Amino acid sequence: MAYLTEKINGIFSPFVLLKNLFRKPVTLQFPYDSLPPVAGYRGRHILDLDKCRGCFVCSMICPNKAITPVEFRGRKYPQVDLGKCCFCQLCEEYCAGAAIRLTQQAIMVTMDKESAILGPEALSQAPTF
Amino acid sequence: MMIDKIESHLNAKFPDALSNVAAGDRHVIFAVEQKESYPVLGELKSIGFDHLSDVTAVDYIDQQEFELIYHLRSHQQRIRALMKVRIPRQSPVASSVTALWGGAQMHEREIHELFGIDFLGNPDLSELFLEDWEEIPPFRKDFDTRKYVKEEYYGDEEQYPVVKG
Amino acid sequence: MSFLTIPFGPQHPAAGHFHALIKVDGETVLGLDPYPGYLHRGFEKLMEYRVHTQNCMLLDRICILDPLSNEAGYVNAVEEIGRLEVPVRAKYIRTIMLELGRILSHISWIGEMGMALGFDSACRIAWGDRERIIRLNEIISGGRIYPVLFCVGGVRRDISPEFVDKSYEALDYLERQLEFYDSFFFKNETFIMRTKGVGKLGASEAVDLGVTGPNLRACGVDYDIRQDEPYEAYPEVNFKVVTREEGDAYARCLCRRGEIAESISIVRQLLKDVPGGPHRVQLDPMYKTPEGESHFCVEAARGELCFHVVSDGSPIPYRVKVRGPSFSHSLVAFPYLAEGSTIADIPVIYWSLAPCPADMDR
Repeated sequence: MAYLTEKINGIFSPFVLLKNLFRKPVTLQFPYDSLPPVAGYRGRHILDLDKCRGCFVCSMICPNKAITPVEFRGRKYPQVDLGKCCFCQLCEEYCAGAAIRLTQQAIMVTMDKESAILGPEALSQAPTF
Repeated sequence: MMIDKIESHLNAKFPDALSNVAAGDRHVIFAVEQKESYPVLGELKSIGFDHLSDVTAVDYIDQQEFELIYHLRSHQQRIRALMKVRIPRQSPVASSVTALWGGAQMHEREIHELFGIDFLGNPDLSELFLEDWEEIPPFRKDFDTRKYVKEEYYGDEEQYPVVKG
Repeated sequence: MSFLTIPFGPQHPAAGHFHALIKVDGETVLGLDPYPGYLHRGFEKLMEYRVHTQNCMLLDRICILDPLSNEAGYVNAVEEIGRLEVPVRAKYIRTIMLELGRILSHISWIGEMGMALGFDSACRIAWGDRERIIRLNEIISGGRIYPVLFCVGGVRRDISPEFVDKSYEALDYLERQLEFYDSFFFKNETFIMRTKGVGKLGASEAVDLGVTGPNLRACGVDYDIRQDEPYEAYPEVNFKVVTREEGDAYARCLCRRGEIAESISIVRQLLKDVPGGPHRVQLDPMYKTPEGESHFCVEAARGELCFHVVSDGSPIPYRVKVRGPSFSHSLVAFPYLAEGSTIADIPVIYWSLAPCPADMDR
C-alpha cells in the first residue's frame, strides 16, 4: 500500500512545478535591469597616465600578449587589445606604479576589430557602463 | 602488500630490472628497461594494480629519447605506482598494454596521434582529435606552435597594429 | 547484416560538444564510434610557452563546469616540486571554494540530466540555481565563470565578511532547494523508470575501463581521493563517502545527489573557523621550480583529475600532462555501455556518466 502511494506520488510529482507560474521570474530584463555591481569585478582597464612608469612588466606578464608599448605624448605607454585580453588581472597585480587597474565596466561592444584596441588616450577615459 | 614488499617482490622476480626507485608514503616510482616493461606491468597487474590511471609521454629531445610513464593504482591497498620506460626517439615503438587494461587503448591512441609513438598490438590507432593533419606530430619539441599559427592563420597580416592615441 | 548509421552529433538537444556515430539495427544499438576533438585547444602544448604565473590563467578553461579543481591540481603539483609551504588560511579558502565548485558542477549536472530525459523544466530551474554560487565566485574573485583565484603560494584574494554572510545565505537556500529537487526530480516516476537498470556497470569492469569518481562509487568501490590521499584542508573535516551497490544509471544519479548534501556540510564546517594569517606567500612572478617532476591527483566533481608536471629548473614547465576524468568516461565507458542497449537509452547513459567534453579534449 505504501509502495502504491509512493508510485502515484511519483507519477504526479512534476505538477508541483505549476506553482512556478505564479512566482516572480528569476531572469532580469537586461539592459533595463541589471545585477548590482560587485567591488573587484574584472572589467575594462583604466590607465593613470601620471603613475605609469613605462616599465612594461604588464606587457611581459600578460599571458596572451595583449599589451604592447606605443608612442604617446613623447614617451612609451601601454595599449591594450581587448580582443586578446582574457581579463585575468595579472597586469594590475604586478604593475609597479599601480597605474593600470581593472574597472567594473562589463559591456565592451564594437563592430570592428580595430576599435577593440585601446590606445593610452582611450584607456585613460573613465569607464562607461 | 606494503610498499617495500612490492619492491622486494619485483626484485625477486626480475633481478636488476628496477632502477631509480623512490618510495613515498603511499606511492612508489621506478624505472625499467624497455625489454622488461611488459613483463613487469603484467606482474604489477597480478599483484593488485587494477586501475590504470594514465599513460604519459615526455619528449627528451636532447637525449633523443621518449619516456613513457604508466600511472597505476591499487584500490585494495590504496597505493600508487609509477613506472617509467625510455624508448629511442628515432622510429619509436612500444608494446601495447590493451590486453592487461581495457582502458589503455584510448590513451595509446592519443599518444600515437600527438607524439608519433607506435604501439604494437593496439587494435585501432586512427586519428582522434586532429583532422587532416599533415605536419609532424604536434606535441614533439621540434614543432613550434607559435610559428605554425603565425604562418597558417595570420600570413602577411600585421599581428599587432599600432594605434596612435 | 545491414545497419543504419545515426549521428549523435554536436547539434542535438541531448548531446553537447561531442559527436558519435551509432550503428543501429531496428531499435538495438550494435556499436558506437566516438569522434572527439571539438574542444581540443592543446593546453599541454600551450603551457610549455608560459611561466607558472601565466599558466594559472589557462587552467580554468580546461574544464569549464568545475574550474577550480584544475587550478588545485596544477598549483599543488608545482608546489610539491619546490616543496613550498602554503599558509593555513589559504588552504581553508581553497577547500571552501573547491567544495562550492563541486556543488556548482553537480547542480549543472542535474540540469543536463533533465535535458537528456526531455525534462526541460528541471534544466531551467537547476541552471537558475547556479546563479547563487556564481555570485559567490564573483564576490571573491571578480570573475563569474572563470575565477582565476589560485596561484603558486596561496590564493590571490582574501575572503571578506560579505562573502561569509552571502555563503551562509546561499547554503541555506541550497538545502531547501535540495528537498525541492527531491520532490519533483529524484522521486519522479519517469526518472526512476528510465534510469533503473540502464547502463549497468560491474565493479571490476568499471575499474578495468578506467572509470573514476561518483560513477565508480555507484558500483560499490569506495575510491575517494579526499579520504585516501587528502590534500588542502580535507584532513580537518568529517564527511561521508557516498557509495551504492547497483552500478546502474539510477545509482550514479543518487550518488551525486548525496554528494551535494555532503559538500554543503563540509563548507559549513570550514566556514565556522577559518584561521587568520596571510593568504599567500609572495613569490617572484618568474618563479623557478627546481629540477624534478611530480604527480598530483585531485578529486574533481566528475572524477579523478591528475596533473603530471616535469620541470627542468627554468620558470617554464617542460611538460604538463592533464588526465581528464571524462576521457575514460566518454571514450571508453560510453561505447562499452551503449552496445546492446536501445536508442532511447543512449542520452540517459551518456549523461548519467556526467562527461565534460572540455575535459576529454583539453
